[in-house]
Amino acid sequence: MDHNTYLPRLAKIIHIKEEVSGTRPIKTFRAQFLQENGFSYRCGQCAMLSVFGKGESMISISSSPLVNDYLQFSILKMGRVTSALHEMQVDDIIGIRGPYGNSFPIEKWKGKNLIFIGGGIGLAPIWSVLNTALGKKQDYGKLTLFYGARTSNDLVFKEELEELRQDLTVHLSIDVEEPEWNDYVGFVPLNVLDKKPSPKNAISITCGPPIMIKFVIQNLQALGFKDEQIFTTVENKMKCGIGKCGRCNIGLHYVCKDGPVYSWAELKNLPQEY
Amino acid sequence: MVNIEDLRNEARRILKEGKVKYVIGYAKNQNGLMPVPVFVKDPEDVEKLIWDPTCIHNLAKFLSDEKKRKSKEKKPDERPVGIVVKGCDSRAIVVLLQEKYINRDDVHILGISCEGSGVIDEKKLAKTLKGKKAESVDLDEKGDFVVSTKDGKIKVPAEELSAERCLECRANYPVIYDILLGDKTRKKVDAPFQSLDKMESMTEEERWAFWQEQISKCIRCYACRSVCPMCYCDECVVDTINFAVTADTSADEKAGRIKWIEKSPVPSENFVYHLVRAIHLAGRCIDCAECERVCPLDIPLRFLNKKLEKEAKELFGYDAGFDPDEPSLVSSFKDEDPEDFIR
Amino acid sequence: MDKILSKKAFSQWVKMLQSFRIYAPLRDDDIWTYEVVKLPEHIDLDFLTTALSPKKIIFPQKEVFLEFRKTNEDAPEIKEVLPEEDPTIIFGVRPCDAKALTLTDKVFGGDFDDIYYWKRRNHTILVGLACNTPPSPNCFCLSVDGSPHSTDGLDILMTDLGDRYYVESLSKKGDELLNLGKSLFTQPKSTDKKDKDKIQAESRKKIKRQIKDLKKVPPKLMGMWGSPFWDEEAMSCLRCGICTYMCPTCHCFDINDEILSRAPLKGRRVRTWDNCQFPDFTMHSSGHNPRPDKSSRLRQRIMHKFQYFVECYQDYQCTGCGRCISKCPVGIDIIEVLEKVRDYGS
Repeated sequence: MDHNTYLPRLAKIIHIKEEVSGTRPIKTFRAQFLQENGFSYRCGQCAMLSVFGKGESMISISSSPLVNDYLQFSILKMGRVTSALHEMQVDDIIGIRGPYGNSFPIEKWKGKNLIFIGGGIGLAPIWSVLNTALGKKQDYGKLTLFYGARTSNDLVFKEELEELRQDLTVHLSIDVEEPEWNDYVGFVPLNVLDKKPSPKNAISITCGPPIMIKFVIQNLQALGFKDEQIFTTVENKMKCGIGKCGRCNIGLHYVCKDGPVYSWAELKNLPQEY
Repeated sequence: MVNIEDLRNEARRILKEGKVKYVIGYAKNQNGLMPVPVFVKDPEDVEKLIWDPTCIHNLAKFLSDEKKRKSKEKKPDERPVGIVVKGCDSRAIVVLLQEKYINRDDVHILGISCEGSGVIDEKKLAKTLKGKKAESVDLDEKGDFVVSTKDGKIKVPAEELSAERCLECRANYPVIYDILLGDKTRKKVDAPFQSLDKMESMTEEERWAFWQEQISKCIRCYACRSVCPMCYCDECVVDTINFAVTADTSADEKAGRIKWIEKSPVPSENFVYHLVRAIHLAGRCIDCAECERVCPLDIPLRFLNKKLEKEAKELFGYDAGFDPDEPSLVSSFKDEDPEDFIR
Repeated sequence: MDKILSKKAFSQWVKMLQSFRIYAPLRDDDIWTYEVVKLPEHIDLDFLTTALSPKKIIFPQKEVFLEFRKTNEDAPEIKEVLPEEDPTIIFGVRPCDAKALTLTDKVFGGDFDDIYYWKRRNHTILVGLACNTPPSPNCFCLSVDGSPHSTDGLDILMTDLGDRYYVESLSKKGDELLNLGKSLFTQPKSTDKKDKDKIQAESRKKIKRQIKDLKKVPPKLMGMWGSPFWDEEAMSCLRCGICTYMCPTCHCFDINDEILSRAPLKGRRVRTWDNCQFPDFTMHSSGHNPRPDKSSRLRQRIMHKFQYFVECYQDYQCTGCGRCISKCPVGIDIIEVLEKVRDYGS
């Protein structure tokens, strides 16, 4: 009992990319620990990022564990801590502690078709599992990505998305018609219903605004997906990250410790308080 | 004398006629002496309403709960609520009316006079009973309190058992009402601020030491603020526990919000909380002393507010909560207001 | 081991324990609180329920986790601030408050040890006092698998036999304390043990408030999540925070950065108690609040204590101290609420 999990380790920002500009900006940060001590994590886990003087924020790690050089986080500017992160430059120092939470059970998905469904910033938490599956393509079946945002400006990982089309089926969408947009126009759940992915030997992983998740799950069920085949990540306000401060408590669970990854079969039995 | 049936009949009438949504009043506590607030919706339930010298709560607090609840509903029931008030409580309603927080037709006021005797102070009662348990407290015709225990009844003059604030009360019966029960007894108060004498006779150093000790006990449970009818702000200046954020609040606004005090319950932060709250109540506090009653660590908060009440009276001749048509102290000025502090 | 200590010898024993930091209930007017004792003669074990339980000594309302500093363009420095490992004794711990510490132990242990909690916990010795009479009119320890003479969580249990204490040591730490005062203790006679057993048996009968069939409540609660029951119960709630702050088993907290100076940056990261009854306890930065009203927060309190915690740890997260009942400004009575839940729908 000598390890103090509340003590963050210092990490340097080595790369910042502006994914989305405007009133709801999103930036992707890559950070490297100042002292090599290893930080092994699994897809779906999160870390508490510290901006000293402002506070901490729990962000999902969007890089794949197959990548050793850095940790990647995609952050939407929302409040005090995330605004401070958005003002940082390369070489600035933040604190990182973790990894916290459970992870996507990818070992159980070997041989299955994986269907990723993301909306807005929601692509970030599933980015790590998507890239891990891509990195071990031979272990999985057909990979499909549904991704959409309000406008084309609000899409994250814009360049990577184009590259992805070579390796998996990508269905993009935006909510409202725009000139020079050739993909689907409409909400993500409707795009899913339109393309009718098959539930046979498939697992679906979805993340995005709560309303989108609700309708994606409804539409997947309509397409024949069972509750055990649908996975999502849950967001709740967090402070300690280790299931003690009580803030993210839902039913028997603490989202920071027993989540954020849930299958719909598990999640529907928890109080809908998130 | 107050006939409880008059109260119940009026409550039954306004509920049966659909004039009010519910009636806020006092009901017997199944466990213990002190009553509990009750929200009577069914005319058959008016029997639950009681009135006696243990009815110390200021029910006007629930008017701001009602307003906040209505604001969240799409098609709110616009009928008023009935509310049982004592003299002090009615002054709180007047302040809410002066500040236009509620409208006169949002409330149907069932006023009750304490007939000059006031309500009890639980601690004084415990000291008088010396370990015995009181089952009820009633008011007799002479204005004395009759305390019933298992061993019989004890008669005590009201001044010995009543709350400190009742001894200085200048509103022995409601100043605003739709119906008034009980006699319009007005008790003469020679020295309305005499409870401050002890504080004012201390030197500055003694007062500072006194408050240092008291304020360091504070655990910032915010019960004092939560029980005060006049603390109705959605967003309290000294604290982030009620931060009015909507989906439209920008990240920069949230990031730029000034944190006036830290969450840590240390004397420096506690002082700012209590003093700012007292100043925000200047000219508004009507001395129901609920803040002091609910404090779990027995901090004598009433002194802070009473002092400012005295200042309002001495500097501006102002009494809070008597005339709903009068403007509030801090939002008006008169030509004859003192100006010697303006440089 | 069991020993007898005469009341006259009690403060002498405490004098022999001067190398420890000693806490005991001290009286300030009508309120008892656990404070550091300067003079052993000040300890008066004739006390009623304290305002705050001794939890505040092991899990203080404010504690510093770390300090941070940034000068110029250098990387920020962070310095861990661990609690001082002062050997501590708390006298006069009621069995309900001791049991409550065994429950907070479960929360602060588990997969991640909370180092701050454990550094204090491991250096604290709890000397309990059996409740010959209930210290509060609202005690109900018997209903939540406790008792006025329970030894759960204690290192020593003292029972007042009139002119002497029956002292039971329950752990190595307890033995250590008794050994430090060896000469003052005598062997109990068989009458001593009989007296103790009699007093303890009678103390159980003196507890007036009970909840029958509490075990029916956890399964009942599961079906009541969407019920309008909570709106009615929470109608008079002021959302003040007294019930949770007074509770010996509650453990919710907040972590904030406090700035002492902006340039150069200097500050500390601080943990403070927090309260699930406060309106924006669960509010997200986006403004979305999963528990926006009083009824959902009251429901959370009851369900967490009497259903979620029970399923995780097979224990009610309540030890029947009665503080929440005594101090609620509007008389919301947890025993009444639980009885209504138990009988709901029948």
